[in-house]
Amino acid sequence: MIDISFSKSALPKSGALVLLVGEDGGADLLAGADEATGGAISRALAAAEFKGKPGTTCTILAPGAGLSRVVAIGIGQHDALTQRVAEEAGGHACVALARDPAAAFATGGISAELGAAVALGATLRAYRFDRYRTTERAEDKPRLTKLSMLVANVAKSKEAWAPLKATADGVFVSRDLVSEPPNILFPAEMAERCRALEALGLKVEVLGPKELTKLGFGALLGVSQGSAREPRVVVMHWNGASGTSTKGKKTGRAQPIAFVGKGVTFDTGGISIKPAGGMEDMKWDMAGAGTVVGLMATLAGRNAKVDAIGLVGLVENMPSGTAMRPGDVVKSYSGQTIEVLNTDAEGRLVLADVLYYCQQKYDPKFMVDLATLTGAMIVSLGHEYAGYFSNDDTLAAQLFAVAEETGEKLWRMPLADCYDKQLKSDIADMKNITGRPGSAITAAQFIQRFVNGKTWAHLDIAGLAWSSKDTATTPKGATAYGVRLLDRLVSTYYEG
Amino acid sequence: MLKLRIGTSAPKAAVTIIPIAEGAVIPEPAQPAAAAAGFTGKLQQSCEIFAPSGRLMLVGVGSNPTEASFRAAGALAVARLSHVPSLALDGMRLLPTLAVAFAAGAIHRAWHTTGLKTKPDEGAAWLKTLHLLSDAPGIEAAWHTTSAVLRGTAFARDLVTEPANLLTPDDFIERLAPLERAGVQITVLKRHELEHQGLGALLAVGNASQHRPRLVLLRWPGALEIPPIAFVGKGITFDTGGISIKPADRMWEMRADMAGAAACAGAIFSLALRGSPAPAIAVLVLAENAIGADSYRPGDVLHSFSGRTIEVIDTDAEGRLVLADALAWTIRRHRPAAIIDLATLTGSIVTALGHHMAGLFSNDPDLAAHVAASGEAVGERVWRMPISDQHRRDLNSDIADIRHCVPGRGQPDACQAAAFLREFVTGTPWVHLDIAGVESIETADDAHAAGATGWGVRLLDRLVSQRFEDPHRA
Repeated sequence: MIDISFSKSALPKSGALVLLVGEDGGADLLAGADEATGGAISRALAAAEFKGKPGTTCTILAPGAGLSRVVAIGIGQHDALTQRVAEEAGGHACVALARDPAAAFATGGISAELGAAVALGATLRAYRFDRYRTTERAEDKPRLTKLSMLVANVAKSKEAWAPLKATADGVFVSRDLVSEPPNILFPAEMAERCRALEALGLKVEVLGPKELTKLGFGALLGVSQGSAREPRVVVMHWNGASGTSTKGKKTGRAQPIAFVGKGVTFDTGGISIKPAGGMEDMKWDMAGAGTVVGLMATLAGRNAKVDAIGLVGLVENMPSGTAMRPGDVVKSYSGQTIEVLNTDAEGRLVLADVLYYCQQKYDPKFMVDLATLTGAMIVSLGHEYAGYFSNDDTLAAQLFAVAEETGEKLWRMPLADCYDKQLKSDIADMKNITGRPGSAITAAQFIQRFVNGKTWAHLDIAGLAWSSKDTATTPKGATAYGVRLLDRLVSTYYEG
Repeated sequence: MLKLRIGTSAPKAAVTIIPIAEGAVIPEPAQPAAAAAGFTGKLQQSCEIFAPSGRLMLVGVGSNPTEASFRAAGALAVARLSHVPSLALDGMRLLPTLAVAFAAGAIHRAWHTTGLKTKPDEGAAWLKTLHLLSDAPGIEAAWHTTSAVLRGTAFARDLVTEPANLLTPDDFIERLAPLERAGVQITVLKRHELEHQGLGALLAVGNASQHRPRLVLLRWPGALEIPPIAFVGKGITFDTGGISIKPADRMWEMRADMAGAAACAGAIFSLALRGSPAPAIAVLVLAENAIGADSYRPGDVLHSFSGRTIEVIDTDAEGRLVLADALAWTIRRHRPAAIIDLATLTGSIVTALGHHMAGLFSNDPDLAAHVAASGEAVGERVWRMPISDQHRRDLNSDIADIRHCVPGRGQPDACQAAAFLREFVTGTPWVHLDIAGVESIETADDAHAAGATGWGVRLLDRLVSQRFEDPHRA
């Protein structure tokens, strides 16, 4: 991760400098830098017709006064500057600075909070998963490792940055997990990486095949039984509210909030095997779990005042002589039986057991599950909105609000009895697939049968977990979609 | 459409249908049978009784029965007794609105198609007469209004059922004669006029068929001196897909690709029959998307009526092309207060919402909310779907102003199609209803007859009565 530091705003004597320029003019250090370079900067900006529109940048090489490079980033109108635009400005700067090992970033003209958002954007954009590149030449690697944020108030800026640094850490935990190849990251390995987060103060429990068999997680074990890799269910506890009160007394344990992730570390489809084209994408079929792990790391990292639990169901879905067959009937942990008509509709089987266990064991205030669940959701909404379903209008409205704020967008989709009826099976309590029409909805209806009436939302993130192109704050690849959204949900509605 | 006879008695041969609210007292002769059958008056429950006084059926309307519960109960009675020639719905002591809803549910469920069978299936029998027992004041007036929308719906269903060899664009126009008799003014734009006015997108889609494309304007003048509400319906009388030809499997379903136009015509018919004060127009854009030596091609660039150029990616995404011209034409020529289009447009919406809801896209939250509420009230449910900047950006073309769809599988095509249409409505309040998936039902159930549903007629009629008949509406 880039090293972010803060110091009092002053024109640096050398190196690279980033300026945030508004459409309404006025940029911190612009006048000083322009004067020091004999007007070179304002001449260059005028020649480039740079007006300060959000999303525009202008790079000026060696303008004088010892500066190696000046990068102007447009931020629009100063008084309309949002956190989202600030983050994107940071992201654009990071791209423009890729060749410099270090740079100074003038943010003295905006608030400490927005300045921290700029630093977050730059940090998120600088993420790179390169641990398996062994022959890359040094000069081909991005060099930026240090950003010195020049600010009006150092103490305030540091305070604003601390929780955002935790967010970036959490996002990176998630992106790393999702980016890892499936031969490296299988259920046991992912459970170990969860356990490593105990260093942040999380309490981590791991259930293996013995415990899961004893508990009767028949649906999850059915998915797992074709693979040589053992399944795991990991429960991560963060007790940020019920630890000790301000007076040092133990407070009563409140109902926690719960997040549940689908973690299929590789999904071949099983006996209902997928076509070969694009199957490599199925390494990120654990992205829902990846998000939950990243979220728990964020909550712990910023010491959130909330009691939260994160559960992930980790399996590998393989075809083999021991694999579950289409036609099999499995008995879920809830006691309900499921006729498996397609072994590639496995995510809902995993979630069924983990969600039922979660509500039964922990009696949470609500449960939010995330899963790369259906292709139908991509055909419904594309790659900009994740679809979400909820049995509770308040929770649904909260999720929608934080989705708009963080830019991790959501669109609500319907639940209704007429869809639920489509799950009727001839020989079991339900079947695990319906026809293609409305199949993201019927998947949600299936999952709803395992929440036991508990307040719940289901996020189908199939179209959002992986990005095929760079965006302002996310390089191509794993997005960690949901970490920031749910962190914001917690901080806005469930702390204190 | 099945005729309804309203009175206080029915012939002895008719089976009497008695609605029972949950927990209400069950009439004496039926009590033992109801108890044996576990009938308590819940919705979806029915119980048939052979009493000495005659044959009865109890149908549940649940607790707190509404119009919707009575519609459902009427439908259930018909579903269970469709082979009985004569039914009498007991609407005594019911409010006129509820009695009429009871009858409407029964008639809607009793619709069926037999027109092309030269002799009936062996053993087939159909409900022939329906009686409504009621002496409530105002029952006749309430029925007049409801029967209008039922006739409009049945009209649309009959059109959707018709096979494509018997319903070309010109056949469709001939079938509009009853609307003219009801006071609807009909104008037809033929080839020369379409060329003259420059509806290039419509002309391209219809170019390969020997049955030429038509644009039909249906105008119900109403009584109010306000701008009309406009309905625009996709009327592809058969859709082969064109050069981007469809797979043979289930291609026969494409005779229903004119269901949007049928619904718009049915809605105007309904407004005329009940003498709505609201001025309304429907624009039906009729064409056959055939394949031939003069087909339009993927890669073609079309000059649309709006002046904008459109790059064709897939000739099977033809609905949005004809709608683009129809929407722009309607707005420029008629300046409607609001415009609502209905189209069996995308497979994507079927994947998204299945067969229980239509997709709603809009540029106007207020109009969208009213359309959704109207749909909910009449049992034609919609779900709001998004048009994002990305959906619009996906349509950027390298050589024209816009392309009409995005190549490759797995696209959010319903959203992208809506983003495309939005480009042709400029500032007019607009709702697009993607009704692929709800225009027909494959197998009958308690609530629905198999086949064409006439989806949209009831919604549009309700929207007009709730929203566009008030002369003081801002």
